[in-house]
Amino acid sequence: MNRGPLAQLLWLRARRDRFQVPVWVLTIAALSGLSSVAVEASFGTLAEREALVRIAVATPSLLMLRGVPQGTDVAALVFFQLFAFLAATVALMNTFLAVRHSRAEEQSGRADLVGATAAGRLLPLVATVLHGAATNVLLGAGVCLAFLAVGFDPTGALLSGAAIAATGLAFLAVGLVCAQLLRTARGANGLAAALVGVAYVLRAAGDAGGTASADGLSVASGWPSWLSPIGWGQQTSPFHSPEPAPLLLSLGFALLLIAAVLGLQSTRDLDASVLPERGGRNHASARLRGSFGLAWRLQWPSILGWSIAGLLLGAIAGGLGETIVDLAESNPLIGGALASIAPGGRGSIIDLFTAALFSLIGVLAAAAAMQSVIRLRQEESGGAGELLLALPVRRIRWMNDYLALGAITIGSVLAAAVTGAGLGLIRSADTADRIASVAGSGFAQLPAALLMLAIAALLYAFVPRVSIALSWAALLAALFVGQFGGVFGLPEWMRAVSPFTHTPVSAVRGADWAGAAVMFGLAVVAAALAVWGARRRDLTL
Amino acid sequence: MSTVIQTRELQKTFGRVRALDGLDLTVAAGEVHGFLGPNGAGKSTTIRILLGLMRGSGGSATVFGRDPWADASALHRRMAYVPGDVTLWPNLSGGEAIDLLGRLRGGTGTPAERARRAHLLDAFNLDPGKKGRTYSKGNRQKVALIAALATPADLYVLDEPTSGLDPLMEEVFRREIQAAAAAGAAVLLSSHILSEVEHLCDRVTIIRAGRTVQTGTLADLRHLTRTAVAFSAAGLTQPDLGQLAAGIRTIHDLVIEGGRVRFTADSDTLPDLLPLLARLRVQALSIAPPSLEELFLRHYRDDADGQARTEAEARP
Repeated sequence: MNRGPLAQLLWLRARRDRFQVPVWVLTIAALSGLSSVAVEASFGTLAEREALVRIAVATPSLLMLRGVPQGTDVAALVFFQLFAFLAATVALMNTFLAVRHSRAEEQSGRADLVGATAAGRLLPLVATVLHGAATNVLLGAGVCLAFLAVGFDPTGALLSGAAIAATGLAFLAVGLVCAQLLRTARGANGLAAALVGVAYVLRAAGDAGGTASADGLSVASGWPSWLSPIGWGQQTSPFHSPEPAPLLLSLGFALLLIAAVLGLQSTRDLDASVLPERGGRNHASARLRGSFGLAWRLQWPSILGWSIAGLLLGAIAGGLGETIVDLAESNPLIGGALASIAPGGRGSIIDLFTAALFSLIGVLAAAAAMQSVIRLRQEESGGAGELLLALPVRRIRWMNDYLALGAITIGSVLAAAVTGAGLGLIRSADTADRIASVAGSGFAQLPAALLMLAIAALLYAFVPRVSIALSWAALLAALFVGQFGGVFGLPEWMRAVSPFTHTPVSAVRGADWAGAAVMFGLAVVAAALAVWGARRRDLTL
Repeated sequence: MSTVIQTRELQKTFGRVRALDGLDLTVAAGEVHGFLGPNGAGKSTTIRILLGLMRGSGGSATVFGRDPWADASALHRRMAYVPGDVTLWPNLSGGEAIDLLGRLRGGTGTPAERARRAHLLDAFNLDPGKKGRTYSKGNRQKVALIAALATPADLYVLDEPTSGLDPLMEEVFRREIQAAAAAGAAVLLSSHILSEVEHLCDRVTIIRAGRTVQTGTLADLRHLTRTAVAFSAAGLTQPDLGQLAAGIRTIHDLVIEGGRVRFTADSDTLPDLLPLLARLRVQALSIAPPSLEELFLRHYRDDADGQARTEAEARP
């Protein structure tokens, strides 16, 4: 059958994303469903939910992280816990999708090939918009169906799905704009991800500065939230006072940007960008020397970015604990709720909260470190590694450079997080003690993160072609099993597989450091095995 | 002359695929050696084994008498390599990449090295201030070529180094390679550009499906090909032609068409052929020497043309 060019282009996009989009939809739906089950299990009674919501309403840093509480209904609590995170994830999926089908195509030269056919210059963009819109409908449907499956109010479920889809569409448009502005896919992806971050932070600022309702069980966001597409989705308040109107803002925003993108695309040259490409140096600086110098040059922006994220999370960890304790002391009801979670007084409560957030920072450090090994693999598969290894650069040395860089990354992210937590703790009464405890929490993350780095190295050495995908999968599995294994009642042996399960909780007196020592030993052995294996195999393009 | 590269019966298998299946290659110092073969014949695989990036599955390979896999990094001090498809670091400028590669090869930025770099940048007409991702294929190749030529080496391994260059730049490339060989370096040059091979190479090795099918000087190879002979058929009888065919056993594809007799004869039988033609008093005689192109095509063609290959292989 002879299809028109638009149908062909749509088919091409659907075909390229035939695994990715279903995996996204299933992940988002599973996350929605499982979180609902988890919230229902942890906060089954109205009293528990009320206690949690009251803590949240009075805790700006919690509002920054999660969003605004909208009543004590289970569904409303799930929406409060989940929406901002879900919306940011869907936003990132959309910006990646937009750039992959636009700027990345131009950069690779495939857009020339397609543009030379009857498809022309605009039709591929139209196809990308339609493909992205369809993907968002699927993502929204996934959320809606998951909420229906756990028995939430149908109107609310539908509105939640619509909010996810509309937010996704808004960021699809943002991704397409970034692809017009910058010449490289990497740059466009980076800018788009930063804009997702800005949207999240605007919402966070607006929510933290929101005004609590008279009953103290919900919060109306401040004006900054209304500048953010994530905020608009959140304002639909699907399980409290359903209001679809804010989604018109998302749709209008998306249409406006898409119109602008169409205008730019029809006037600019192929492979040109609105912002010009900067030139480079004629000579290398004295620091660009040796294979480690090169690895550092390639990776430092990424290390910096992850470390800033660590600093911010650390600051939240530091600030959050203090606020919660203030609250506990001023309100006997909440104090009682907290005491049931963390017996042992003021210091112990702060330490436990900090330790819990630091376990997330450990995952962040592991992810940052694994990027170093992933870069090593990209250097090899991309061909630059061949150029380098034809020089007097030892294979073992080359790999060790990236492993060392990974270890440095872990140190940098954890040090940044401890610094951030220290800043957050400055107004604490016993700052010195608290900072010592936080430093202990930071140090405790080291073995698990190193072990994840070594696992990525093993994958690189023995299954190079699939090592990048498997590395991320291993991290996600370890994160899921380690962080949520308890909530979902996974068997003990399965939880024991995740390195993060064995991270000592330094806040607890007499924390078990044996697991940490074993993990450190395993990491060293695994890294040595990986280097040995990588030296023995052929260069794999 | 000392041997720089030597492979004997070199094998390489990827799973069930035999990429190399008995590859013999010898390159001596001071020699520019052409390395030819159709796409997928195993040229790049051979080169990667010689660079120690892959390990042979059988047979032997040595570079400067040493094992390229075990002694890779020591051997690389004496080698320079230009890949066929150059990948640069997207956010490093061309100048930075050249400096980095030079430093990794042991360059220290002496005035002589800086002058050499500036000379090559000028000769190849490359702007070093652009980011790696913005260069075209030809310009990426120039970056790798300049990095390879900027520091002297004893062995240059070049994998289709000029496939993206314009003819003017090819000329610059030839001059530089000839100078390097004159200084005593060995050059292994994989190429599809016959004029380049003809200009540069002292000897060539032709491989197909992972095997060496022919090796020798260009003059040797020419000698092994057939010369095309044609003359007017007017006044010649069938017995005349029969006499010719009987006299020279290596006459092939004899046809009479459009009033002309055409056939091909093995080039080394030409001295015996000429007296016979004289005796027949042939008119409008033309004798066309074999072109390199014909030579390569014969070796490149697939097994539909297996006859020519077997004949060529059967020769000493």
